[in-house]
Amino acid sequence: MTIEKRPNASADKNAPTQAPRVPVVERGTGPKLPGPPGVPGTERFRLLAYVRQESMVRVDKRPDETVLTWPHLLRAEFLMAGLISALLVVASFFINAPLEEMANAGNTPHVAKAPWYFLGLQEILSYFNATVAGVLVPLLYLGGLALIPYIDRSPYKAARDRKLIWIFFLCLMIGGLLVTFIGSFFRGPGWNWVWPWDGLFFTL
Amino acid sequence: MTMNERGNPIVRWVKDSGVWRSFFRQPYPTTSRTRALAVMNNVFLHLHPVRVKKHAVRYTYTFCLGGISFFLFLALTVTGLYLMFYYVPSVSRAFQDIQAIETSVAFGQLVRNMHRWAAHLMVLTVFLHMIRVFYHGAYKPPREFNWVVGILLLFLTLMLSFTGYLLPWDQIAFWAITVGTQMALYAPLLGAESSFFLLGGIEVGQNTLLRFYVLHVIFLPLIAAIFMIVHFWRIRKDGGISGPV
Amino acid sequence: MTGPASYGEVHGPRVGEMSRRSFMRRIVGAGVGLLSLQFLAGSLAFLWPNIRGGLGGQISIGTAADIITQFPEWAAGTPYIYNPARLFIVNVPAAKALVEGQTPDVPDPGTTFGEDVPLADRSVLALYRKCPHLGCQIPQLCEQSEWFECLCHGSKYTVLGEKRDGPAPRGMDSFAVSVGEDGGYVIDTSEVISGPPVGTATFDTRGPGDMPHCSG
Repeated sequence: MTIEKRPNASADKNAPTQAPRVPVVERGTGPKLPGPPGVPGTERFRLLAYVRQESMVRVDKRPDETVLTWPHLLRAEFLMAGLISALLVVASFFINAPLEEMANAGNTPHVAKAPWYFLGLQEILSYFNATVAGVLVPLLYLGGLALIPYIDRSPYKAARDRKLIWIFFLCLMIGGLLVTFIGSFFRGPGWNWVWPWDGLFFTL
Repeated sequence: MTMNERGNPIVRWVKDSGVWRSFFRQPYPTTSRTRALAVMNNVFLHLHPVRVKKHAVRYTYTFCLGGISFFLFLALTVTGLYLMFYYVPSVSRAFQDIQAIETSVAFGQLVRNMHRWAAHLMVLTVFLHMIRVFYHGAYKPPREFNWVVGILLLFLTLMLSFTGYLLPWDQIAFWAITVGTQMALYAPLLGAESSFFLLGGIEVGQNTLLRFYVLHVIFLPLIAAIFMIVHFWRIRKDGGISGPV
Repeated sequence: MTGPASYGEVHGPRVGEMSRRSFMRRIVGAGVGLLSLQFLAGSLAFLWPNIRGGLGGQISIGTAADIITQFPEWAAGTPYIYNPARLFIVNVPAAKALVEGQTPDVPDPGTTFGEDVPLADRSVLALYRKCPHLGCQIPQLCEQSEWFECLCHGSKYTVLGEKRDGPAPRGMDSFAVSVGEDGGYVIDTSEVISGPPVGTATFDTRGPGDMPHCSG
């Protein structure tokens, strides 16, 4: 609810010129009260508009709630873009992208690994039946992530108010991280267990 | 209107000219009004609202992960475009082209490195961005749809990285893609067909390289860009970035 | 027509009846949907791989005598590797004798083929060297075990391609073999024949623990 303070009935020209899109409740102006404008105790109020608070358009715009995009947001973006660019150039200057000998279908390397983000999947593929691991797990993983807003219908955002979905999400994250980690650093030739200090079989 | 009362007369003459003022409608924005106008009148800046919530510009609220992901996408587009000038997606040339980029093209190694590391970093930042959004419960109504779009973008990012992985045509690429695409064969329905379609044959070969190249340089980036537009548009339409917990 | 007030009355549908407008809308919608489906199907057809030559066609590998000239060990049971199509050409009678501990010499295994003939009774098998697990290339028969042992993820197969150990979902895939006009073997690589299911065992019934291996 937004209530506009009106010193007197003739202040209508200060009312918003643009017609509000939301339902407008307008009450009659009523009889004129005695007393000069602005004197406490003599003002009258009327409801002008009902504005949903999720919206960026708000009648009651307190001065410190928002900041101008120029310069505040743009400065942050500019700094971050610069930082990432610098990081990228410096990293690329010192670390070369891997390139082995030319592809040869007749020569399988002792360690054949998928890109790192699929290594969790490859790890799962060594535990379960292929259909379960190769298809159901990735489908359910991405599908489960996509369904999160439809599983957790409560309007509360604090962790204690959405324990169930937190557990669900943490299971997905920690599970995924764990298998990816094992697949990346603990698997060697023959997909056998190799401790990272005995040999690292990982290429980015 | 004379905007520059003082300064170099030539600069003043240029800045007062009709040509200059048709390009730059207003002087450098220094007041709230001109700053608002600068954002509103610029097609690129118009991605943003004129004002944003105060917490949205705090580094520790978003860690800029979404923005960094987008920036990396742009960086990958630029470096990828550079690499395209020297790369032919043919099994007899691809590997030699990569070697040539590394050895005989000025800054070639640097550009290839940047493309590679930015790609890995982007997978990471998109993933972290998802975790950040979940942490703040920012998938709650009215932002459910945008969360789904985000998951789709995560998938597209993975596919972009995966298709690019094959292009150097070295042993890492060949066997990683062989192993990766073989997983598609396990699909209970049409597994063999989808793998055949994806590879353009029974195993990774010339057809696969060409298919992955086309997917990598135009099809997937285009789809990803379209969904990014939807993603950013929805952020604004759903009331800007979500509030703190 | 006198004014907007009567507009609805003149053109509106009766209750329970579809208006002309919504009928047209559905027709147009259905048409666009149909066209989109056609476009999708056409795109799939356009992009469907069109294989000419190489793996995917009919490959002639010559007669048994041709193989022996190139690779004499074939008569003693070691599979012949035909690399252009990534195949193991298994001399089945010789391989059987090898597994049974003999030192065979079978220069011409014959021409017994066919889908209905059991694997062990065929003369020659064309096994695909791509491991059905994740597609690694299977190396030559391991000498200690007389099995095919994939080094990537440790899947193990008998000389007939039957899975014995490791993560693979089935035995090694194969291609149909026939005899061509010149009397040589012809491999039809247009269709991959899925390997035998896990648990199939004909003459080689040893388990993974019965002998040393090449891969862990």
